[in-house]
Amino acid sequence: MEFYTSSKYKRPIRLDEKTREFAYESLHCKYGRDTRKVPYVSLKHIAGYETMSALDQYNCAILEIAKTAPIRICEGELVSGAATLGDAIGHNVPARFDDTREEMRSVSHLTVDFFEVLEIGMDGIRAKAEEAFKKHVDPEKKAFIKSCIHCIECMEIWHNRYVEALKEKTGFETVLENLKTVPFRPARNFYEAVQSIWCCFAFLRLCGNWPGIGRIDVLLGHYLKADLECGKLTLEEAREILAHFFIKGCEWITGESCVSGDAQHYQNIILAGINECGHEVTNEVTYLVLDIIEETGISDFPVTVRINKNTEEKLLRRVAEVIRFGGGVVAVYNEDLVLESLADMGYPQEEARKFANDGCWEVQIPGKTNFSYVPFDGLKILQHVTLKDYDKTLDFEDFETLFEQYKKDLREQIEMIYRQRVLEKLQEDNVHFKTATPCTVVALFEQSCIERGISYHEGGTVYNVISPHIGGLPDVANSLYAIKKAVFDEKIVSFKRFMKILKENWENEELLRKHILNHYQYYGNDNDEVDFIAAEILDDFSDMCRKYDKETPIRFVSGVSTFGRQVDWAPMRLAAPFGRKSGEVLSGNLSPTPGTDTSGAAAIIQSYCKADLKKQHTGAALDIGFIPSNIDSDNAISAIVGLIKGFVRLGGYFMQMDTVDRATLIEAQKNPANYQNLSVRVSGWNARFVTMSKEWQDMIIEKTEK
Amino acid sequence: MRAKIFDIQRNSFVDGPGIRTTVFLKGCNLNCKWCHNPESQLPKTQLLFYQSKCVSCGRCKEVCPHALKTCEWCGRCAVQCPTGAREVCGKEYTVEEVFCEVAKDRIFYQTSGGGVTFSGGECMLQIEFLREILKKCKEQGIHTAVDTAGDVPWEYFEKIMSVTDLFLYDIKCFSDNLHREGTGNSNELILQNLQKLSEQFSGDVIIRVPVIGGFNDREEELKQIATFVKKLRYKKTELLPYHEMGNYKYEALGRQYTSYYVPRQEEMEKYRTFF
Repeated sequence: MEFYTSSKYKRPIRLDEKTREFAYESLHCKYGRDTRKVPYVSLKHIAGYETMSALDQYNCAILEIAKTAPIRICEGELVSGAATLGDAIGHNVPARFDDTREEMRSVSHLTVDFFEVLEIGMDGIRAKAEEAFKKHVDPEKKAFIKSCIHCIECMEIWHNRYVEALKEKTGFETVLENLKTVPFRPARNFYEAVQSIWCCFAFLRLCGNWPGIGRIDVLLGHYLKADLECGKLTLEEAREILAHFFIKGCEWITGESCVSGDAQHYQNIILAGINECGHEVTNEVTYLVLDIIEETGISDFPVTVRINKNTEEKLLRRVAEVIRFGGGVVAVYNEDLVLESLADMGYPQEEARKFANDGCWEVQIPGKTNFSYVPFDGLKILQHVTLKDYDKTLDFEDFETLFEQYKKDLREQIEMIYRQRVLEKLQEDNVHFKTATPCTVVALFEQSCIERGISYHEGGTVYNVISPHIGGLPDVANSLYAIKKAVFDEKIVSFKRFMKILKENWENEELLRKHILNHYQYYGNDNDEVDFIAAEILDDFSDMCRKYDKETPIRFVSGVSTFGRQVDWAPMRLAAPFGRKSGEVLSGNLSPTPGTDTSGAAAIIQSYCKADLKKQHTGAALDIGFIPSNIDSDNAISAIVGLIKGFVRLGGYFMQMDTVDRATLIEAQKNPANYQNLSVRVSGWNARFVTMSKEWQDMIIEKTEK
Repeated sequence: MRAKIFDIQRNSFVDGPGIRTTVFLKGCNLNCKWCHNPESQLPKTQLLFYQSKCVSCGRCKEVCPHALKTCEWCGRCAVQCPTGAREVCGKEYTVEEVFCEVAKDRIFYQTSGGGVTFSGGECMLQIEFLREILKKCKEQGIHTAVDTAGDVPWEYFEKIMSVTDLFLYDIKCFSDNLHREGTGNSNELILQNLQKLSEQFSGDVIIRVPVIGGFNDREEELKQIATFVKKLRYKKTELLPYHEMGNYKYEALGRQYTSYYVPRQEEMEKYRTFF
């Protein structure tokens, strides 16, 4: 039984053989396929369902899920509870009135607050809700809070079903004992804390939601410390318990193909960094998490480590060692810069220091944030708007005029997003939110929703953020740079002729295309001339968004991403001025366009860091790929550590590193059966390569270093 | 003062500790049959021509003062070549220009314990330049490494020892006959220099042994090298398996390459136990 790695080194063995088997089965789709068997619970029998309010319908759905969703207890599991309904894997509330269609969309892109349930238990949260119910008079608010209490009762029904089922089995005495306390009462030790978080997480997912976990080492570290000190638990035992949490989290792996691959349910985990008081939080749990993913290669909880200038060398080296095994499981935040960025947004320092992410890398305060982003293609604006689909009558007398025109067109795009996405969400007073789809279960783990009596989607959270995300920015910078060089500096082609050539997709102009492709140094090679074009656009983009920030209760700040959209955008894109033909898959996130970066990772980081990235308040990601053979030396660990530290010192935001070579990916495309667990970093998430569509696989292959 | 340089590579993980920039100086006094940088051997500027990239557009011929009949390495054809099929190999750099390139990744040298490595060719053949650039880097606090085959007068080492932190020293074989056969030169001076270096140099020496399948991959040969180096003071030895990644460059130079084979991983593991 071996866990896949692209490295020549073997993954270490620390876990019990039975735990390893459990992991192996889970990674090989055993429970995912089981989850698919029952996709949803039926609401058909509920009298008067169709005439109920949306909230009442939701309440019925959650009750039915709690009462009838299949119970799953795996042999030897150390934590219990399972999200067993298949529609949830597709981002839906898994309950249907009409068998032919899904009823309600669920919630993702959030990290909820698990601190409260550990401290006061679900009973404490229920008491809070009862208090709030008494306080409010508004019938809508009362109805919402009642729904909260109802959902806690549903959770109790579901929880009791597990307790009863476990009583029937032998060998689950400790699990049963734990479940008698958590999650309804406060957790008293590490094991109870793990079970408590797992129960809440599983119930959230059972009801269709895709929450992140957040800062697991902060959540669990002090429990483990106390248990170790009093000898209640050994580090090895703690590792086994925590490993079961990770293995259970693989229960949605189905091995089935979908466009962007499976394993992207945004169950993000954050490690390390400072706490509210500014003290480093790294503890035994931090290292246990790294041990577990190093051994099993479980990539379903994308892990991001908060690195700052004082991060201990030991942690950096562990991170580098895990990165070397491939799978792209571990990414890094530059904590110093993220905190500066949040301060720039006006978040109080203590609050900012709690940051986690939404599911990919967009920074948010867990349990306090409703976040959404609006992606758009920056290259499309250049091609379709500024250059009017390469209109042959178009002419610009100099580069500056062209550049200014692009920024003007970008500004209009931002204004449109603001009108369509922010103002649309609000009532006419621009203060109150319009009614939205119910999602009460989420509100149980969001601070302030219950107290305010307002749901998650209707402004109940402390922070509401909508962030325009620019994509294709490196392609825009490269395009503008190519025009600057070829048309205005070297004058090897006139502007009008160049437009005609691009309109005709470089037809019969292969020599000019090759010249432009091969003779200029594009973004990713530490060439100031092109890098500063990118940096300037980003700066202006941020300012354009800030103009509307704080105009309404919804924060409006910028970020950079494509996630995988460069694949979807490719067919709509025209030829690009830097030598690319129409339809090619270009840059992802803020990473160089595939094939243009020839100077290595250090130069890529230098290019990326020239922009003032703290102004991208919801994040700007960089992807770096290594060939396994290049980092199979001892020195490679120092080198990876050096890259991470350099990234922090130069002012990077978020960096994900993966190690896999093209040959392996191409082989996996041909023989998927042999590469079931080859996991690759897609963007903010990982996916098993063989479950992705051909287009997405090709994109990953293209961006992998030749 | 200028040196002939054929490449400056950033972000190397394999030419010494940490992240390094490797500066390749052109010209070598050995003629190793397996050389993976054949374009490094001659000191003069050369033209590389990659047939597979050529689209026969004829621009090179148009701009060449000699219509491609002879070559003075002016590089006009390479500038005009749209596909990069023609490449001028070897460019003159001043100390200042090289330093400027090296300094770009300074932050990464600090964060990774890396620095600059001078390689080749045989970088020590341009010893005066090498001393100046090493001095400059050293003054600026950059860790310096010299990758050498060691077949140069001992005085050359003396000239740069004080400004070098690390020598990467190649030993290709112990028996002189085999060395002559593979490189064209005796290894007497090489072994002598290494002996002296290990006695007199206060910095680090890493001894590197290329393992060339079909040439020196014999147990006895490698054991003899091991016996020799074990008597010396050095930081560590590294055995580097032969690879075929340089073969395409022989074609670009219009040369034949001698075929060797890549030693198997198990063999490499075994050889490493000798050291």
